[in-house]
Amino acid sequence: MTLLLIVLLPLLGALVPLMARNLPRGRLAWLTAVAPAIALGIAVFHLGDVFAGQTPQFHLPWISELGLDLALRFDGLSALFVLLILGIGLLIILYSRYYLSGEDSLARLYSFLMLFMTAMIGIVMADNLLLMWVFWELTSLTSFLLIGYWYQLSEARKGARMALTVTGAGGLALLAGILVIGHIVGSYQFDDVLAAADQIRSSELYPVVLVLVLLGAFTKSAQFPFQFWLPHAMSAPTPVSAFLHSATMVKAGVFLLARMHPILSGTDLWFYIVSFTGLATLLYGAWFALMKQDLKGVLAFSTISHLGLITLLFGFNSQMAAVAGLLHIINHATFKASLFMAAGIVDHECGTRDIRKLNGLYRYMPHTTILAMVASASMAGVPLLNGFLSKEMFFAESLDAQLLGGLSWLIPALATLGGILSVAYSLRFIHDVFFNGEPKDLPKTPHEPPRYMKLPIEILVLICLLVGILPSLVIKDLLVSASASVLAGPVPEFSLAIWHGFNVPLMMSGIALAGGVGVYALRHHLYSFQRQFRARNALLVFEANIQRLVNLAERSMDSFENGSLQRYMLWLLLTALLFVGIGLLAVPQLSGEFEQQPFDAMLLTGAVITGLAGLGTAITHRKRIVSLLMLSVVGLMTSLAFARFAAPDLALTQLAVEVVTMILLMLALFFLPQRTPKESSARRIMRDVLLASAFGVVIASLNFAILTRPVESISDFFMANAVSGGGGHNVVNVILVDFRGFDTLGEITVLGIAGLAIFKLLNRLRLFMPSSDLDGRSWSPDRHPMILATVSQTLLPLALLVSVYIFLRGHNEPGGGFIAGLVTAVAIILLYIARGVDWTQRWLRFPYQPVAAAGVLIAGLTGAGSWMFGYPFLTSSFGHFTIPVIGEIELATALLFDLGVYLTVVGATLMILANLGKLTTPHRPTKEKS
Amino acid sequence: MLQHLIVLPVVLPLLVGASLLLSRSSSPVLRRTISLVAQAVMVIIAIALVAQAGDGTIRYYALGDWQPPFGIVLVLDRLSASMVLLSSVLAFFACLYSTAGIDETGSNFHGLFLLQLMGINGAFLTGDLFNLFVFFEVLLIASYALLLHGGSKARTLSALHYVVLNLLGSAFFLIALGILYGVTGTLNMADMAVIVTTLDPGRAGLMEAGGLLLLVVFGLKAAMVPLYFWLPRAYAAASAPVAALFAIMTKVGIYSILRVYSLIFTDNAGTLADLGRDWLWWAGLATLVVSMIGVLSARDLRTLVAYLVMISVGTLLTALGMNSVEADSALLFYLIHSTLITGGLFLLVDVIAGQRGKAGARIVRARPLLQAGLLGGLFLIGTAAAVGLPPFSGAIGKVLILTSASPEQQIWLWPLLLLAGLCSMIACSRAGSSIFWRTGKSEPSGDRIGLARGIATGGLLSAALALVVLAGPLSNWTRATAEQLSNPAPYLEALLGKDASPETAPPLKGDEE
Amino acid sequence: MLDIALWISIALFAASLMLNVFRLAIGPDLPDRILAVDTMYVNSIALIVLFGIQLNSKAYFEAALLIAMLGFVSTVAVCKYLLRGDIIE
Repeated sequence: MTLLLIVLLPLLGALVPLMARNLPRGRLAWLTAVAPAIALGIAVFHLGDVFAGQTPQFHLPWISELGLDLALRFDGLSALFVLLILGIGLLIILYSRYYLSGEDSLARLYSFLMLFMTAMIGIVMADNLLLMWVFWELTSLTSFLLIGYWYQLSEARKGARMALTVTGAGGLALLAGILVIGHIVGSYQFDDVLAAADQIRSSELYPVVLVLVLLGAFTKSAQFPFQFWLPHAMSAPTPVSAFLHSATMVKAGVFLLARMHPILSGTDLWFYIVSFTGLATLLYGAWFALMKQDLKGVLAFSTISHLGLITLLFGFNSQMAAVAGLLHIINHATFKASLFMAAGIVDHECGTRDIRKLNGLYRYMPHTTILAMVASASMAGVPLLNGFLSKEMFFAESLDAQLLGGLSWLIPALATLGGILSVAYSLRFIHDVFFNGEPKDLPKTPHEPPRYMKLPIEILVLICLLVGILPSLVIKDLLVSASASVLAGPVPEFSLAIWHGFNVPLMMSGIALAGGVGVYALRHHLYSFQRQFRARNALLVFEANIQRLVNLAERSMDSFENGSLQRYMLWLLLTALLFVGIGLLAVPQLSGEFEQQPFDAMLLTGAVITGLAGLGTAITHRKRIVSLLMLSVVGLMTSLAFARFAAPDLALTQLAVEVVTMILLMLALFFLPQRTPKESSARRIMRDVLLASAFGVVIASLNFAILTRPVESISDFFMANAVSGGGGHNVVNVILVDFRGFDTLGEITVLGIAGLAIFKLLNRLRLFMPSSDLDGRSWSPDRHPMILATVSQTLLPLALLVSVYIFLRGHNEPGGGFIAGLVTAVAIILLYIARGVDWTQRWLRFPYQPVAAAGVLIAGLTGAGSWMFGYPFLTSSFGHFTIPVIGEIELATALLFDLGVYLTVVGATLMILANLGKLTTPHRPTKEKS
Repeated sequence: MLQHLIVLPVVLPLLVGASLLLSRSSSPVLRRTISLVAQAVMVIIAIALVAQAGDGTIRYYALGDWQPPFGIVLVLDRLSASMVLLSSVLAFFACLYSTAGIDETGSNFHGLFLLQLMGINGAFLTGDLFNLFVFFEVLLIASYALLLHGGSKARTLSALHYVVLNLLGSAFFLIALGILYGVTGTLNMADMAVIVTTLDPGRAGLMEAGGLLLLVVFGLKAAMVPLYFWLPRAYAAASAPVAALFAIMTKVGIYSILRVYSLIFTDNAGTLADLGRDWLWWAGLATLVVSMIGVLSARDLRTLVAYLVMISVGTLLTALGMNSVEADSALLFYLIHSTLITGGLFLLVDVIAGQRGKAGARIVRARPLLQAGLLGGLFLIGTAAAVGLPPFSGAIGKVLILTSASPEQQIWLWPLLLLAGLCSMIACSRAGSSIFWRTGKSEPSGDRIGLARGIATGGLLSAALALVVLAGPLSNWTRATAEQLSNPAPYLEALLGKDASPETAPPLKGDEE
Repeated sequence: MLDIALWISIALFAASLMLNVFRLAIGPDLPDRILAVDTMYVNSIALIVLFGIQLNSKAYFEAALLIAMLGFVSTVAVCKYLLRGDIIE
């Protein structure tokens, strides 16, 4: 449980600065430091167990489906990193308090730092590879926030994005790698994976795993060729850089190498990829560290170089090399953090980081100079400092690498070259900045920083010295236990002495020191050599590439989604055609078991007329009103077909809908140009003809195939039960209001909403009104012809009577709420046509929306009424009653339901037509704000 | 009343919605209160339904007391219960957001909103294919009306595309229903599942045509490439609460595919077994490709979120194509996550746009935001979740889907899905840094997020963490749901009685002459 | 006997429908076409009545009545369009 606290405390600590943001900065810093300090305490408390060879673990099941558990371990490797992260983190908290100016929010920085710290601790303590990935990506995310802390600066924004993109992408590769491991092993628990290490190494997926995992590690650790993001992450405030680039962020990559070392290392592939990447990075970083004129740039590239060194060590596939790598991780963290902080002090006090301006600062800040000198000497690998120890071990290991055969001597040679460059840039960091003449036009006059700003550096430098002088005493236990977890077995005997006698590594060190001084002396020649190459700013290149990608995406999307509805419809039609076609191809024989009906001249005539009218609709489409007339013939013929096949009420409904649609279309057509110019190319027309024909063929074939096959359907049940169960002889109506009343309820809702939708659509719409007809004649001046007005007024009561009649008898004979509603609506629309909106609204005052809504409500409540009798929604009941004068009638709840249908149809239809009609009048709808 | 619980998610919004439409001039406060209370009650009902479905039995509700296969039934199983709960929660927060003022920028918002919810819930609950069509219509037309809400040129234009394409889709739905009814003689999905096992080759071919046409319809709803064209503009143009509610619309398509194909075209269906799964797989991959290009090309935050929705659709479609219990379970988890998160993002983007003056949601340099810290934090969490970065919900969903792919599928899925994540990470980080970091000098102004909008936005986006914390129980639930889906026998038995299993089905229809 | 009469009249009405379509197609003017469609409605009513006699169902007569009314309304609407363009003002 206490292990969980080590992770959770910094997480809680992230909230502290947010809540305490109004406190004075000093107290804010102390409060923030409480949580990580306790966590550090807990970690130290567990150290005893770790040194004794135990591994405290914590396990909480989480997502069993995924194999992702909240599992933590605290082995030597974790302990080493936790101490570094929390220890240096605490120093950074102290340092930031002095570094940040009053305008910048310290609380925000602390909060992000603590989140980042949580993520880092999570990585190093995760006992489950997936859990480690979770924290891994969290570091990418939080480092994005940290690097972009000074978001006003374009550099910071771009640098943050670049870091996120590169390390995030690496994280995705790592995820893939981990998932493949999980696939091979069947578990993500570290112990299980470790136990299956041989299985992984012998798996044919091993190269895939290795490359994916290494991609994750190399992007994070800024290994060549992914090193380019790191120098640009320097736009972060210096405390952030000091933390990210010494103990954390970039160390996550080498941590991963160490963690996966017992699982993935030991193969030639590992050696070649890891060591070559490390070697290239080592030299690349060292060279550019020497070339940079920006103080933090020098440190950034030296970080890259040292990370390359660590990677190279892990690549050697030797146990001692891994030990050396771990030692260098500790050493690099301490001296690099202090160097960054020193650079921060210089920047803070002088207002610039340009090495060409910074000179001779020793006179202004002697104390800082000494601290920087010690740290820098450690980086250069000067004896008595910790950097010397790991560098000696590195040289020794480079001599043992034999895999390159006859070219194996290259490795120690190149390692020495790296050492030379390292000495040169360390020297430069000191000599160019603190000595070497007088400062040139600095923005500020430098002086020593506040006392406590130097304290973190002093502590780190002290560690450098202690480790350097008394390595066995200070560091051995930690190193041994960390090595034990990296090697997953016995640790080879090694001695951490400063003096091993005169040997080749010592000679290499000597060459490095002397050579470094020489290179430094000749640095100006090297600068002019480097100047021959065009300097490429990785940030700009990266941004330009991303921009190119985005432009490409924009262009391709603009041409793919070009806003053409025709194209979108084409895709939809083609897809449907393809899919239905596939099904039809699977039908062995189109015609089914039924005998075909005898040939009938009547049907043929009907079919021919319908077909001709359909064609006519398409051909005359540019004269819209003619096209509409043709369309109405299609509708008429359809309803005749219904009549011919003994479905009078369908015929009636079809025709009523037809008329309403006609009126609707005419209302809309008025606002369109009378004639459309010919726009489609011949090719396009051909395409459309082909498409339509193909569709016709497919649909006709489907119809034929289905109608010639007998089927036993549920309609037989409806036929049999309409009277006994539904109380009606008109099966169609019983289906509508009873068997499938729920569908009807839905459909009248649709109708009602359609009315509302059109009302919304028409709101505030102002449209062009043509002043002449198709042939250019101007409109007749007679708005409401007398004869029409008189006839339509007479028709209204008759139509209402008819609709009441067919409504009431609907349950037993053709009719019902739907048709009745349409008839009523058509009659009222006739009044609108004949008398105009003003007159009609004077006489029919009721608004239509409530009518439609009431209709839906009545139908719904009728359905809910059956709950009172303990029956499911929409259960109908009916009975026969005798009423004086009228005689015996049948009353069914279905009638009430049908009333709802009737009202909705009337209300919605009128809402649609009347509102569209009102567009040209002062009664137009105007509620919608735009 | 308890036995009527299943029908309430349809009836309650219907009745309340219709009542709200009775008058156009009642006070806004009253309408808001009624609507919010109704939505809150809906959430409670949905929780009760989930609790009921949790025991694993399948319940049905016969409307009009007409027993299946003759009448319409609503079916409650784990899947439908979860979907109803999801839509209710989303709708509640979206509605809460609208009460801050958007609801009054046009007519009848709350009534239409509730009817839309009715359509969605009905589609999730129904066990009848024609009834599904009806609810598709309800939600289509209601969403069309809602899309127009507030009115603007962009809305009217995108709404035209939306409604025309979807009406054509409805026509296809009807044709498909005609085919399926013509072949099987039934509309009840369970009954159809039984009959489909007995078809002769001719009928099976027709059934295939119908089934695949249905896939076109559902694919259109789900915004599958190449049928997705209605989505980006419509989602980008819609007002915030509407866009948020629309986050579940694509999921209606996904749900329908899952329901219909896992019930009817099962292993028992002979040549029709696993119909369309290959198509879904490839279409899903294509959707991923198109949407990752789309997300990079977005010049507007709303469009960006719309393409994030598309990425989730692509991911879900590939999971459907995998057709395994693991994949179904993963897809349900991912579905819940992506619905809530993209819904929340639409709301958040609206708040952000409201504080940026003329620049609105466009990804350009503009004035600093009034509440940059809060909104920036929410934006980071929301987009990180949508992109699939840990420790947020998207990562879990994505990893679940990645791991459920078979080795042959992994070769395609992994690179594409990870690349889609990378593309959306690039796009979101660019957008975020433009909007929150690259700000001009002018004074911040605009509307503060306020309590209602804050709760609504935060409530939905909190899913990013809540789903992670609860990932254990939630993934167990989705697993149980997927297992229930993978074994349709209890479903058929519950609806059609004991003798309904395919082995004892009636003989070939063709032989009965 | 009645059957033969029915068939002859159905055939004649069908022929006149064809002629209506011909008129609709050639025009030449909009009023001609409107008249053609209106006549089609009349002929359809006749056909439906004949179907009713053939099938011996009185439901057809009522249907015919309603179709007459709907046909009237649609013709009125088209005529109003012809005159004024805007049919509801």
